[in-house]
Amino acid sequence: MSKTFKIGGVHPHDSKFSRNCAIEVLPLPQTVYISMAQHLGAPAVPCVAVGDKVKAGQVIAEPAPRALSAYVHSSVSGTVKSIGPRKDIAGNNQNHIEILVEGDEWAEGIDLSTDLVTTIPTDRAEVLKKIQMGGVVGLGGATFPAHVKLNPPAGSKAECLILNGAECEPFLTSDNRIMIERSKEIVVGAAIMQMVLGGCPCVIGIEENKPEAIAAMNKAVSELGYPGISVMVLMKKYPQGGEKQLINAVMGREVGSGALPISAGAVVQNVATSLAVYEAVQKNKPLVTNTMTITGDCLPVEKQHNYLFRIGMPLSWIAEYAGGVPEGAAKVVSGGPMMGRAISNLDACTVKGSSSLLYLSEKTTKRAAQSNCIRCGKCAEACPMGLEPFLLNKLAKNGMMDELEANAVQDCISCGCCQFSCPACIPLLDTINIAKGQVLGILRARAAAAKAAAEAAKASQK
Amino acid sequence: MNKLLVSPSPHVHTSVSTQSLMRDVVIAMLPAALVSVLFYGWSEILILAVSVISCVGLEYLISKFLLKRPATICDLSAVVTGVLLALNVPPTCPWWVIVIGAIFAIGVAKMTFGGLGQNMFNPAIAGRVFLLVSFPTYMTDWTVPAGFIHATDAVSGATLLGAYAEGGVEAIKGINYLQTLFFNIGGSAGEISACALLVGFVYLLVRKVIRPHITLSIWGTVAVLALIFWAINPAKYPDPIFALLTGGVLLGSIFMATDYVTSPMSAKGGIIFGVGIGLLTVLIRYFGSYPEGVSFAILIMNATVPLINKYCHQKKYGRK
Repeated sequence: MSKTFKIGGVHPHDSKFSRNCAIEVLPLPQTVYISMAQHLGAPAVPCVAVGDKVKAGQVIAEPAPRALSAYVHSSVSGTVKSIGPRKDIAGNNQNHIEILVEGDEWAEGIDLSTDLVTTIPTDRAEVLKKIQMGGVVGLGGATFPAHVKLNPPAGSKAECLILNGAECEPFLTSDNRIMIERSKEIVVGAAIMQMVLGGCPCVIGIEENKPEAIAAMNKAVSELGYPGISVMVLMKKYPQGGEKQLINAVMGREVGSGALPISAGAVVQNVATSLAVYEAVQKNKPLVTNTMTITGDCLPVEKQHNYLFRIGMPLSWIAEYAGGVPEGAAKVVSGGPMMGRAISNLDACTVKGSSSLLYLSEKTTKRAAQSNCIRCGKCAEACPMGLEPFLLNKLAKNGMMDELEANAVQDCISCGCCQFSCPACIPLLDTINIAKGQVLGILRARAAAAKAAAEAAKASQK
Repeated sequence: MNKLLVSPSPHVHTSVSTQSLMRDVVIAMLPAALVSVLFYGWSEILILAVSVISCVGLEYLISKFLLKRPATICDLSAVVTGVLLALNVPPTCPWWVIVIGAIFAIGVAKMTFGGLGQNMFNPAIAGRVFLLVSFPTYMTDWTVPAGFIHATDAVSGATLLGAYAEGGVEAIKGINYLQTLFFNIGGSAGEISACALLVGFVYLLVRKVIRPHITLSIWGTVAVLALIFWAINPAKYPDPIFALLTGGVLLGSIFMATDYVTSPMSAKGGIIFGVGIGLLTVLIRYFGSYPEGVSFAILIMNATVPLINKYCHQKKYGRK
């Protein structure tokens, strides 16, 4: 019996129509627009000027000082045409660097060959530096800077590195494809991260609906022969790829409320992040490419693709290249159908964490009218955090902040299981997300006030 | 380019709806309804029709003319109440008594509180108890009408529980449990065949409409309590199988105690709720003035649900 997390979860149809579409390399557009906000944390600060010539892989923006941030590199060679605000997929203005593409020249020192480099470096600090300089961020969704996660604070110890190959979101197949086509590079990446974390074992968790990926990863693990790496087959259940759920499935542990995974001895990285770590460390190649799926329920399978894209490519250009937005598409989603974002602006560009262009038909995606809550409790049964969405929804509507906090609204991971499973079509997550934001704000303000009070008391003692 | 929808995630939704859940409950009650029609004939068809039509019609009229809001009859919850009410009355019950029951069930117990999801008490149970208290003669007339199947050894004039209440253990000596499992003539329509009710229970479980906690904890409690009483004094109290198979234990525990709206949300709460129903049922049967206590037990426990919900929560991830 394959393993899974204990609490909640749902079983949407997995719809992995593009699972057999091999990764194709996209050609280069005329212009790319590279966002400064491609990672969790403060936007990067441009370090090139208009008119500068840049090469692919060259640093064009540096991390914002004293904040969680990451390097951003040019994904193409050419001339910087403009630097300024441009709308992202949600329609929010972000600082972008516009580059006119000229040829395809890469910065010096980047190894573009496909030769596998299997020797694991031993200098931990240097490897971490390379990961940071390579602009590697978590590609499972949160785009958390990888070098921060791979450098646990003093006093905590990584007991297990978990590679996330669950890909539990329906429709998405990019992780599936890289696990099949680039399995060895992923395993080398895992071995590098093991070294960085001090030699802890590594488990690669893959859901059972990806047998080819499981076989390929098993083969790569046994052929490369690094110690302490194994593949674990997981049951197909959403949200298996959620960090907290995956830790529970693989290690049987729970991460305490508000705590980081490292407190449970776990470090979780996506398989695509492992590939990026491999490229940054072994090939000196920064994170400027990633894999995305073009899929949907209103797109014939022969028009579905898995593409290797470069960051900054306009989504509309990719959509055109793939054959245009299909006739029946009512919604275009970036990411999976459970947690992805509906795109309001197709002129937005790919970022490091882009994973798909998902075309959904009106029948699949249009929200039905909501009716009365029938107190069936299906939302609570589905919640992988063990929360009671029906209660949180009610408390949120009444603005009861203390009760929301007591009922752990801040633990919500926004996976959407509650809203997915509600037979009365109540938009539970919409309400809960707003309430969660408010409660987290209150918690932050309280923590800041407590800190200020402690400092004031300390100062008065002196 | 075509206009695109934009909304927060999730972008897909389960195919399960309130309507599909209620439809499943109706389907689960079909075996029991079918058996009752076979044994009680035309009078049972009339009862089912009057009950369903008056429940659905009343909900429509009340929504439309009193509450002035779109009617919600398409969710099929009124159909569920209608079928349940019909299964809860004797086959000889006059049609106008059923209409009064429907008025109480839908008009008072359901719509007064705000309709589906807002009611404190299960409408069908409330309707049945209202009729039992208001029209005891009609509600305890167990004359067996002519059915499409003639059961030669049909007990007429009293249910098994009624016989026990009047005549004690002596009166129910020699009953055939195998027979009660399939057809137990006498009693409300829904009490005839334990087998038909169990088929419905399995259907509800397989379709994941309900979880088994509530039903099983009722059975467990009734069985254990009946066993204790029987062990102490077998000359006075019937055995546990009799306690489980007769009266409304199966009908109530499968279809009425599991009503989403009026039962606790958590599994833990469901067990407390079920144990409470089982306990009250046995106490009312053995020490109360009514031969049967399931309806009262469910109604009383319905009232405790907000309290149970307040104190019973499921285990949260990462918290004690």
